[in-house]
Amino acid sequence: MSMEPLLEINDLHVRIDGKPILNGVTLRVAPGEVHAIMGPNGSGKSTLAQVLAGREDYEVTAGTVRYRGRDLLAMKPEERAHEGVFLAFQYPIEIPGVNNAYLLKAALNAQRKARGEPQVDAFEFMKLIKAKMALMQIPQDFLQRSVNEGFSGGEKKRNEILQMLMLEPRLALLDETDSGLDVDALKIVAAGVNGLRSPERSMVLVTHYERLLELIVPDYVHVLAGGRIVKTGDRHLARELDERGYDWVQAEAAAS
Amino acid sequence: MTADALARAFAVTGGDPERRAALDRFLSVGFPTPRLERWRYTDLKPIEQAELDFAPAPPDAARLAVVRDLLRERGLPDSEPRLVLVDGHYAESLSTAAAATPLRVSPSAAKRAPSRRSAAQPEEHPLALLNAAFAGGLALTAPRNKTVETPVHLVLAGSGVAGIAAQPRVVIELEAGAKLTLVAHFVDAAAAGYWHNAVIEVVQAERSSLTLYRLQEHDRSAFHTSLLRAELAHDASLTAAYVDLGGRLVRNDVDVALAARGARAEVFGVLLASEGQHVDDHLRIDHLAPETTSEETFRAIVDRKGRGVFNGKVVVHRDAQGVDARQRTDSLLLAEQAEVDTKPELEIYADNVKCSHGATVGELDEEHVFYLRSRGLDEAAARALLTFAFARAVLERVRLPALRELLSDRVRARLPNHEHWENLA
Repeated sequence: MSMEPLLEINDLHVRIDGKPILNGVTLRVAPGEVHAIMGPNGSGKSTLAQVLAGREDYEVTAGTVRYRGRDLLAMKPEERAHEGVFLAFQYPIEIPGVNNAYLLKAALNAQRKARGEPQVDAFEFMKLIKAKMALMQIPQDFLQRSVNEGFSGGEKKRNEILQMLMLEPRLALLDETDSGLDVDALKIVAAGVNGLRSPERSMVLVTHYERLLELIVPDYVHVLAGGRIVKTGDRHLARELDERGYDWVQAEAAAS
Repeated sequence: MTADALARAFAVTGGDPERRAALDRFLSVGFPTPRLERWRYTDLKPIEQAELDFAPAPPDAARLAVVRDLLRERGLPDSEPRLVLVDGHYAESLSTAAAATPLRVSPSAAKRAPSRRSAAQPEEHPLALLNAAFAGGLALTAPRNKTVETPVHLVLAGSGVAGIAAQPRVVIELEAGAKLTLVAHFVDAAAAGYWHNAVIEVVQAERSSLTLYRLQEHDRSAFHTSLLRAELAHDASLTAAYVDLGGRLVRNDVDVALAARGARAEVFGVLLASEGQHVDDHLRIDHLAPETTSEETFRAIVDRKGRGVFNGKVVVHRDAQGVDARQRTDSLLLAEQAEVDTKPELEIYADNVKCSHGATVGELDEEHVFYLRSRGLDEAAARALLTFAFARAVLERVRLPALRELLSDRVRARLPNHEHWENLA
């Protein structure tokens, strides 16, 4: 990794309600790279994604996170979004009373405004979103429906990816985007994500399952256990974890 | 307002005996006080103690001109069918609905109130007695089997003369199979310390359908009390929407009698109460007949030292089998000193019924705030948008898109920080 990293996490310790969750995570993500974070339940995977997006009920007790050379932890969630950080939520929330078109346009324009770019008008916005909706196989009436209200689990996840396609982040954090998806929905989601891969854009995929990583092939696979990255490998590690579980990795880590 | 003062004001009106009887009954019960359960949270003393003119002269040309400007400013031009009351008096010269629609309009609401089987006693609504003693207003009839296609605006305006106690009364009759949408606007031309004490009486014959949207945007100096009393016959349906944004002390009573099989009522509303505002919605639905349905959905947004009150009482009478009654209230408190009192009441005397009620009081969900911030909205914008969404989720029940947007726009304009996100979308 000779290239200047986009994201550099160094010895990150995080607590929630006084309970330690992350106990020294170190990770470098260079532009264009896709990193998968795997690990058993409760290992801190989702916490890592949420802390990076700026969730405030976590307490960072030690360590640093630098993003494009800046102290990420000092930035508000919206500033992180303006700087290109995007979190696809594991459990996307429902917002009755706000329709999808409204939210997306407001989000897009808030980010453009913060970056000093011109806002999109209604016509431009519709052109943009219709193309992306087609890619994600999202029906037309979606735009007028309230955000995620009455959506199935799969629809919510597709909506997260649609938002990502619209906002074109520099660093995409996908928190168990594959959970609750059937094979067809998984393929749609993967196609959406793969379509965004580029030499400038990095991704961190938090996942339980190897099947996502057959469709979105990562450059690195990390195992998070006990709040630490205990093993790093390439895509083949994911296959191995799928076959052998996590115990051997943890045993190996304990022995070293 | 002493009994003497009321009697003196009454003498000016000419002293019609029926009105006199109403006044006497009012004087014998007096203004309701918080000692009464129904008035526990709402103290009318500020109204009782105000010096008010109960018998204002009908509006002159100057006051009518003021209101004409107000109508234009509010987007209610002459081209829209409308009925206008100024300071409680029917203003025929500003009203266009009689010519533009099949409605029969009579400039007198002296017509008798509907007979009622349920009979909440008149004494339960003492302010309606006071209204009956002094009321001006109008009566309108939607003719048999006719659908009035365009919504008719019913404007109850204050012209801005200080200290008027306006007592508008509107009697709405729907003949069998008639369909009508009314949009009632309560507006003031200026800060004038008014009291608007409105009574709307609705009588619906079988299969008739009335939709009544009500937008209350009084000046913040105004007192507002209202009673909507409706009686529905076989398969009649009533939709009533309450959007309360203005006023200083506001009390709305809704009293619906589902008097015959298949009658349906849907009542929903949004109230906003900020510093110096007290808004109280009191509903009573009587299921008097089998297979009648009712649904109530109310939301309150209370900020700073505002106060919101909701009381919804559903009574399912004996033999009213197969009733479906649902009630739901949610309140959003935006500040520590904001207060909401909410109380559902169910009285059920039949055995085969489906009744439900639920009430929540809370703050914005921080998960939701975080979600929006993670998409790039700043915190103030995220909170303002979620606050609006809280109200909008109820306003989505408004079926006509233009009215849905009109009501949403008015709500939005009253919310804190709305400008933070509005210009983004």
